[in-house]
Amino acid sequence: MSLLDALPTPRLRWGRLHPNIVLVSLSLIMLAAFWLLDVVSMAPNRIVLGTGHSALEAFGWPGALLATLLIATVGIFACQPSQRHYRALLATIVLLMALMPVGLIASSYLLIDPELPQARLGLGAAYWVVLFVLLLCLIEIRLRLNLTRLWPTLLLSGVALLWWLCATFWLDSLALVQEFKARDQQFVRAIGQHIRLVGIAVSISVVMGLSLAMLMRRYERLQKGAFAVLNFLQTIPSLALFGLLLAPLAWLAANVPFLDRIGVSGIGTTPALIALVAYSLLPMVRNTYTALEEVSPDTLEAAKGMGMRAGQRFWQVRLPLALPVLLEGVRITTVQAIGLTAVAALIGAGGLGTFIFQGLGQAAMDMVLLGALPILMLALMVDAGLGALAEALRPGGIR
Amino acid sequence: MSNSLGAARQRQQSSPWLWPLIWGALLLISVVAMASAEPLFRWIEPDARQVIYGRADFYVLLGRHLLVVGIAALVTIIIGVLAGIAVTRERGGDFLPLVGQLASLGQTFPPVAVLALAVPVLGFGTLPIIVALMLYGLLPIVRNTLTGLQEVDPDIKTAAHAMGMTAVQTLRQVELPLAAPIILAGIRTSVTINIATAALGATVGASNLGDPIISGIVNGNMAYVIQGALTIALLALTVDSLFEVLQRQLRSRLSTS
Repeated sequence: MSLLDALPTPRLRWGRLHPNIVLVSLSLIMLAAFWLLDVVSMAPNRIVLGTGHSALEAFGWPGALLATLLIATVGIFACQPSQRHYRALLATIVLLMALMPVGLIASSYLLIDPELPQARLGLGAAYWVVLFVLLLCLIEIRLRLNLTRLWPTLLLSGVALLWWLCATFWLDSLALVQEFKARDQQFVRAIGQHIRLVGIAVSISVVMGLSLAMLMRRYERLQKGAFAVLNFLQTIPSLALFGLLLAPLAWLAANVPFLDRIGVSGIGTTPALIALVAYSLLPMVRNTYTALEEVSPDTLEAAKGMGMRAGQRFWQVRLPLALPVLLEGVRITTVQAIGLTAVAALIGAGGLGTFIFQGLGQAAMDMVLLGALPILMLALMVDAGLGALAEALRPGGIR
Repeated sequence: MSNSLGAARQRQQSSPWLWPLIWGALLLISVVAMASAEPLFRWIEPDARQVIYGRADFYVLLGRHLLVVGIAALVTIIIGVLAGIAVTRERGGDFLPLVGQLASLGQTFPPVAVLALAVPVLGFGTLPIIVALMLYGLLPIVRNTLTGLQEVDPDIKTAAHAMGMTAVQTLRQVELPLAAPIILAGIRTSVTINIATAALGATVGASNLGDPIISGIVNGNMAYVIQGALTIALLALTVDSLFEVLQRQLRSRLSTS
């Protein structure tokens, strides 16, 4: 081993520089996307596909130059990485994100003809690529600076707030904003329905998953059978499970008056909830079971030696130690449920999926975006939030 | 000694093909003979005008479904395994943390949302569902490739190096064979999930086994939904049991050599 260690290892080195090639290449990708792809698109009305415009047309010389300089700064700072440069990079990236809606405001003044009240501005491919790559840069810097997940989440919330302000006050011509303004109450209701469905389904499956996992630990024989059933449930497409519940529930509601009175019906919330819980159980039970099993027997032995009773051992030792892995299960389940609830719109359960499928039906892509983007953001937010919580609860806490 | 070993291996080899054969046969029967089960479906949906999905033959739908999942799986495997190999090499090591995070980010994107976002760019049809499946299936493959390659004992790699093997030889003859069972497990998860997820493609105009389900939901015809769901579930079980056989053979080859 020692002989091999002495051999020179090939490494990318330019003189005295040890560049962070990840950030350098990400910055080059951003520059290429910014100059080669369409930044915005302009459409005279809702249905017609927009025509693309390059960075120069959208922002004018000063704007395009400013953006190029900022993106190039990312690459230059990354050439000689240090703690201080990484902090400067973080600031630059947040600044770039904050400037994105400002650029849109500028291009709406430059491109939109005030005589066309129906004209709308769409986000071009370059916008999406740059936004995505900026998120990657943020992840990379978070890893290099050893930050917890909390900081980027806070920064991104600030940026999101800024976008929201810009969108409500100055971006009337943006297609997404127009779609939103046309059905803002419907949107608020849909987002409420979506979150409520996910919340109820996840709560039920947490309770059921915990009890099932505890039963499995008591009765070994149950374990194999339960996992087989739950695994089989996952092979049925979500679409089909929603559909399959329509008829039996409709029949039940028609024939059992009590069920009808409490709101059970073939279409709507009930089948959606049943299917969501059915899908959520496998990741939930699997993680809960592993979490409870993985607690070290030595620790439990020590607890026993200290004179703890069985109940105390479970609530004060096993459960708190299992909590991070258990939360991981909740995170996976919730993210999955957010996506599945969108499908539930097909059977009339409401939620953000309604916009996706209505938009697809009318070929109105901005409406599809109005449904898909919040779902994506909801999933990312839950993922980051619960991930940060699990990190904080890990023995040792926030480092 | 060798005799009993051989017998044991034979017993092991004759039984594993049982389940793929059973599921495959059931799948074949359900695809070919769906129409002859009409009385059964008539009993489920007595009032419907038609109880067997008739807009396309089931074997055509099955073929298209397999094609979509197959293309997505092929691209995902190539990208995922290559990315996994690239970032575990010394030169690509800088990208390792980012790729790990990126792969787990991919699974956070709900397939419906990806599908919906892909339609404006790629148009209606088969292409958006392939993209959505690729993004969704990438995580298990990248994650398992990374784990598999990182778990190879460094001493073994050093030994290979000391024997005069080049980096490429070490990768092909030492690291990949040792990591293969874990990589295969990732591919299995990815493909099985995607067989079920591909049904979503029917909502954006891709014709596959999701078609009967959507049409059943829209027309309130339970029989259609059951036909689509049954075929997809059988397909998933067949493919999953095939992977099981493959994994077992790989493991027994590793332990004998």
